[in-house]
Amino acid sequence: MVTFKHTQLKNGMDIVAEINPDAQSVAIGFMVKTGSRDEAGDVSGVSHFLEHMMFKGTSRRSSADVNREFDAMGARNNAFTSNEVTCYWAHVLPEFLPAALDLLADMMRPALHSDDFNMEKKVILEEIALYLDRPGHVLYEAIMKDHFRRHPMAYSILGTKESITALTRDQMQTYFDARYGPGNMVLAVAGKMDFDELLRLSEEKCGQWKHLDVRRQYPVAEIKGGVRHIADPKLKRHYVALMCPGPSAQHDGRYAAQVLADAVGDHEGSRFYWALVEPGLADEADFSFYPHDQVGSFFAYASCDPARSGQVADILRSELQKVILHGLTDQEISRSKNKIATAAVLQGELPLGRMRNICSRWIYNKEYKTLEEDLQLLESVDAAAIKKVLREYPFNPITTTTLGPAAS
Amino acid sequence: MSTLKTAGIKARQGVTTLSNGLTLLVESMPDVRSAALTILTPMGAASDPTDGLGSANVLADWITRGAGERDNRELTDYLDSLGAQRATNAETVFMRFNASMLADKLPQVLPVYGDILLRPMLPDGGFGPSRDLAMQQLDAIEDEPAQKLNLLIKSRHFAQPYGRPVVGKKEHLTALTPAGLRKDFQNRSTARGSILAVAGAVEFAAVRDLVEQHFGSWVSKEPVQMPAEAAAGGVWHEQQASNQVQIGLAFDAIPESDPDSIVLQLAMNILSGGMGARLFSEIREKQGLCYSVSAGYMSLKHLGAVLGYAGTVPERAQKTLDSFLHELQRFSAGAQQDELDRAQVGMKARVIMNGESSAARAGAIAHDFYHYGRPRTLDELRARIESVDLKRLNTFLEAHRAGNMTVVTIGPAPLAVPVDKIG
Repeated sequence: MVTFKHTQLKNGMDIVAEINPDAQSVAIGFMVKTGSRDEAGDVSGVSHFLEHMMFKGTSRRSSADVNREFDAMGARNNAFTSNEVTCYWAHVLPEFLPAALDLLADMMRPALHSDDFNMEKKVILEEIALYLDRPGHVLYEAIMKDHFRRHPMAYSILGTKESITALTRDQMQTYFDARYGPGNMVLAVAGKMDFDELLRLSEEKCGQWKHLDVRRQYPVAEIKGGVRHIADPKLKRHYVALMCPGPSAQHDGRYAAQVLADAVGDHEGSRFYWALVEPGLADEADFSFYPHDQVGSFFAYASCDPARSGQVADILRSELQKVILHGLTDQEISRSKNKIATAAVLQGELPLGRMRNICSRWIYNKEYKTLEEDLQLLESVDAAAIKKVLREYPFNPITTTTLGPAAS
Repeated sequence: MSTLKTAGIKARQGVTTLSNGLTLLVESMPDVRSAALTILTPMGAASDPTDGLGSANVLADWITRGAGERDNRELTDYLDSLGAQRATNAETVFMRFNASMLADKLPQVLPVYGDILLRPMLPDGGFGPSRDLAMQQLDAIEDEPAQKLNLLIKSRHFAQPYGRPVVGKKEHLTALTPAGLRKDFQNRSTARGSILAVAGAVEFAAVRDLVEQHFGSWVSKEPVQMPAEAAAGGVWHEQQASNQVQIGLAFDAIPESDPDSIVLQLAMNILSGGMGARLFSEIREKQGLCYSVSAGYMSLKHLGAVLGYAGTVPERAQKTLDSFLHELQRFSAGAQQDELDRAQVGMKARVIMNGESSAARAGAIAHDFYHYGRPRTLDELRARIESVDLKRLNTFLEAHRAGNMTVVTIGPAPLAVPVDKIG
């Protein structure tokens, strides 16, 4: 029997746990509500760089200790930074949960040594170079800029070679001090555990962290759409991206938006699949729903031969137009719901999948839903719900950004 | 049927071979409600006709475009309505079909795969698009230097036909015809040498009945084998104006069926398992030379290799290659007890964690059957990991030094490859 527990430490840190006595393992993560959109001023890329520095040691541990201790638990562990959150996680056998908590909690108060900072800066510059060799990534960063313009969602997660080169250790410390307050993070655990023990250890390890007043800015996104082409004569393929407003992570229409996105652009059996991939016009054509904090987007992406670029872009737009005019059929809605439900059940069988789910939901909405409740909400999506989303978010205005060998 | 217990995981395995030679493997998992299937059939790039390189890759797309009584759209819509998550890919030896679903949908999904493998429509109208997609894949690889390196290092290091890039050659793809590829399919399609694995909330007897009903009439013949040719090996540079230099290394290793392969797997964990492993810690953490640096073990039935990878900007590329070679040389001097301890804990934890996923288990028992001739239990995996001590590990490392290396780089300029360190 799966049970849920929530508690809050006196300093404001939330602890959420989904306890599954039948699980063989347990996943634990600290998710901090901070990312590139919170990088005010001249510190582009600091959230992600800081994520790397969190592995570089504390007052009790060296960087080598941190890595070695994770390995000694046989942990699968990593971290990631998005526009909105930074998450540090480990998946371990239940007997290692106390050790994993001790290590992760210690990492949340990093030493940020200058020499480590300078060494890791080189690794960050390598990561930037790595992604510059991936056209899909280059295009995604470009369309986020074109679409969100002055809104902070436009900020790059990695930053640039220039911004990272100029960044100082003290700027990073200032950012850390302002954003890593216990009230701005969630400790999430899913799988097999002794919850009372977890709570006792969390109080011991995290209870003395000082409360901080951390706020996120929510300026209105002024989306105007537009068209831009980025020429790169080295490339063999043409890459096209479209972005338009969609429901946010807090919006009631987000389940319907998820079904809509699947029916329009899942990699198999969707409108885009039949219009573009099945006939061989594009080797990839996807449509996704990105629910962000108080703002959201739909995102279309395709890659094709440069000679077909006009045709592929026209088809992407006309398929979206057809959906606006006629909606989806009941069969499409039913198929997409079945696909999403299966994916949720499969993800729910793994502690890591459940931890990510409960963690994000708490960060965005301060709520918990069991897998069954989630599936019921999904099941309740019907043609009327889809139409309602389409009325509010009629795929307009559209930002179009393309990347390819053509000059224009 | 055997029962296995590892840290409380109770699963039952069943194995049978149909009269046509198809092997069925079933693992019943009590704590899940999903089911996953993996089908491996010997129709991969290694058995492509010599003048039809890339055929299996085209077939992997074409074969799902209608089967049995259902045309392409009916088949796709039907599997989608069952919520089946699926992927079909050509690999070196096999064509692989994976599908995950809620377990109660297996009786409807499994027959569709019987149709796909035994009665594919291979429609004329679908051939052009399938081939077109394969051609586009070839171009897409040119835009992703890391992927390109992966194909290049394998094609230079492995003897043919096992080094063949699955994507094939443009001129061969251009020459393919629907009639020719249909004939190739008939030639290669066989139950013998094929493996069907199911894991999840399923019972052996019920799955066996389904498989006998829907795969029992599959033809049985010897899988096609292509003649072997020598590998190119050596040092190779490909000029490309990429942001990072891509560095690939390869050297021969024992195949997985060798009793010592567990020692090699532990050694690979020490070299490149977690973030505390040698390559990551020495090359990235201590020197900041690159973001990605790793080494992995890959094995087919009769051959194995260690493949190394690093990506780094041109200014640091030479030092990265030198450090990588230095770490490989230093490794033959042996590892420490604490390194072995961590590698063993890590491998055992993986065994248990993968035991929670039906998709991982279906893939694992199919893999086991190919390499070991039977599915392995979790208890057996654990015992094998624990059986290795430091003496055995270090004796192995001393006897199996990295040597006779293939080195491939992609980037703006070639690197100096020290012949004495790769020989």
